[in-house]
Amino acid sequence: MRGWEKKAQSQPCDPESGLEKHYVHHSYVWLGSLRIVAVILFTVVVSMGSSLIGLFLDGTMESPEDARIALIIMALCALGVLLLLIGIVVYQIVSYKHLWYELGESEFNFYKGILSKKRVHIPYQRIQSVDQRMSLLQRIFGVCSVSIDTAGGSANKATLIPYLTKQDAELLRRELFARKHYALAGNDSAGVPQGRQVQGVQMGNVLDAPAGLWDEVGGVFAGQAVDTGAVSYEYGLTNKELLLTGLSNGTTLALIMLGVLGVVSQFAGNLISFVPVSADAVGHMIAAGSAWAVGTVVAAGAGMLFGAALLIWALSALGTCVSYGGFKARRRGNRIEVEHGLLQHQFQGVDVDRVQSITIRQSLVRRALGCCEISLGKVETVSAGDDGSTQASLAQGLVVHPFVKTDRVPEILAGIIPEYADVPHEAISLPRVALRRGIIRRCILQGFGFWFAVIVAIVQIMLNIAASMSGDADLAFALPYINGVATVCYIFAVLLLVVDAVGAVLWFRESSFAYNRGFMQLTLGGLSRETTSFARGKIQFGYTRVNPFQKRAGTRTVYVRTAAGVGGTTMRLIDVAESDAVAWLEWLKPRVGRNSENPASDHVFLA
Amino acid sequence: MREMPANQLNPKMKNVWRISDSIWIVLAFLCCFVPVVIAAALLPEERSWILLVLLGELIVFGALVALFVIILPPIRFARWRYEVSADYLDIAKGIIWRKRYIIPFIRVQNTDTKQGPILRAFGLASVTVSTAAGEHEIPGLAIEEAELLRDRAAELARLAREDV
Repeated sequence: MRGWEKKAQSQPCDPESGLEKHYVHHSYVWLGSLRIVAVILFTVVVSMGSSLIGLFLDGTMESPEDARIALIIMALCALGVLLLLIGIVVYQIVSYKHLWYELGESEFNFYKGILSKKRVHIPYQRIQSVDQRMSLLQRIFGVCSVSIDTAGGSANKATLIPYLTKQDAELLRRELFARKHYALAGNDSAGVPQGRQVQGVQMGNVLDAPAGLWDEVGGVFAGQAVDTGAVSYEYGLTNKELLLTGLSNGTTLALIMLGVLGVVSQFAGNLISFVPVSADAVGHMIAAGSAWAVGTVVAAGAGMLFGAALLIWALSALGTCVSYGGFKARRRGNRIEVEHGLLQHQFQGVDVDRVQSITIRQSLVRRALGCCEISLGKVETVSAGDDGSTQASLAQGLVVHPFVKTDRVPEILAGIIPEYADVPHEAISLPRVALRRGIIRRCILQGFGFWFAVIVAIVQIMLNIAASMSGDADLAFALPYINGVATVCYIFAVLLLVVDAVGAVLWFRESSFAYNRGFMQLTLGGLSRETTSFARGKIQFGYTRVNPFQKRAGTRTVYVRTAAGVGGTTMRLIDVAESDAVAWLEWLKPRVGRNSENPASDHVFLA
Repeated sequence: MREMPANQLNPKMKNVWRISDSIWIVLAFLCCFVPVVIAAALLPEERSWILLVLLGELIVFGALVALFVIILPPIRFARWRYEVSADYLDIAKGIIWRKRYIIPFIRVQNTDTKQGPILRAFGLASVTVSTAAGEHEIPGLAIEEAELLRDRAAELARLAREDV
């Protein structure tokens, strides 16, 4: 093992290119094999364990002959597993020797693969972000996986360099960004605006201490901390913010819904007992009694559901808190860096030039508390090992603050991304007719409550007709319950309808769009609110759409497409007044005069 | 209302649409029609309602053919307009949902021309303009025109300094 370490540090030169070959850390061999072995052992145990147990419990091993055969089989299995282990380790060693990167003249080269060799060349200018990720095990040993993103669109995959020591990773990141800026400076005189020197507000929370401890200990092979540039702005989360982030995660809404459902069903249980039953006294008694019983059962079920939801909520809140533990966002030179995670550490660094948009999101809960979430949109590339949850988080963008009071937003944005200081303020709101259309669209066409009521009504009518036509006694007896349940459903539907209507009115009052010379801003209102700002130069293309109804109402739908997210994001605002939409289309055109004489001046932030 | 973009597609495009749409319709029709015919041959006692199904399919087929071969192509042709200005591409299309696109050339990543067998038979080509977040196709242009457009978009895209 010491031999490898030496080799990793001696770093032989490639005779062809004369470049220094950087190998990854030797933990690639043993941590990597450990991971594969764990997976294989798990499958082996799961697939064979039951048959082994069966063998012993079956009582078929009466004669010593049988026992011997069983022993031989087990020995063979063990041998097979051992051989497999050796094979994996050898494979890891060989692939370790075929895995290295070089910092070339104008591009970053990455080599991988034993038989099918993979070579990745990334020109420095194209680098969008350098992220690093550590699992808990990696964290203990102070190594991490670095992924380099190039914003090459949806088909492109990020280049993943596994198992670098923390020191190497930091050095690599500094080197890559330095070379990128050097490469850009060659044909670029317009400097990126300097960040105003805003002093970072020192804020801390309970989880910062363990996170700091991690940093101090670093892990076994972490190496020295590397200075990667001057930080102009930095902040963390306060205790309150961290807690609220945890509490307001996705399950909160489900919890509230469940609570409402429980109350409604309890209410329904009481209601059913008042339903007049047109039968004889005994039937009435039975009906009332069973209705009460049904009501109790429903209430108990709702209570249990509520409890389970509460538990899940608490657990996921804890999980979110831990994953946001040690959260730090900072501006360092031209990069924005975000790191978080107490167990699995994530570090994301993105170049300011590659930020596509800023989104300020207010979910229902955040809105009630006067808070919001700030995230940056960037071109996301799905790297090979990503699972569903990572892809879901990709859709969110780079969260630079998960939970912040709305009045602190300007300060944070000015500190972390001063380039977006000039966002437009003269919002163009929607014409009056949009309210009518919005209510119709949200309450009826897309209204869950409305369609729910319709379906319930159809079923109810059909059952009633069936009961009166067939004269079936059972059905006639059940009819009051059916009608009772239907009434509950109607109440629920009306509730939903009211929610939809409130959402539609809020949508109308708050939705707007605005643009000025360099930026455009789109606000979508409703129960939850979302404001997205983006530089004009980051708009890939825009379009308007009009359907016959909109044509009569004199409105259009405005669509803007940016490259943020996986394969791009479309934002739309329905029912903008036609004149506003046309003016906006004019604005969207490249500015002819300036462009023809010097196209290069149509820079991202000056466009 | 702003004035519409100046250029229309090549008029031959109507025939291209007719041919390609009828190929699809006929294929889909055969997929539905043949099994029912076989069923009719195998089950003589159920023939009465199977024939009814056949008749229904024929009517749908006829309606689709009338729609896609006679009615839609001229409307689509009339609605499809584009204009290549100095530095952006302006597209208007859509019959019911009318769309208007503005695509700055500096955002264009690459442009391709494409020719399928039908387009080739008519001496046409389609141009695809892709940005970092989606692509746009202008379906029917004369070959020289398509190549001109492609070269121009490529030239302007080259001038754009920042790639995203």
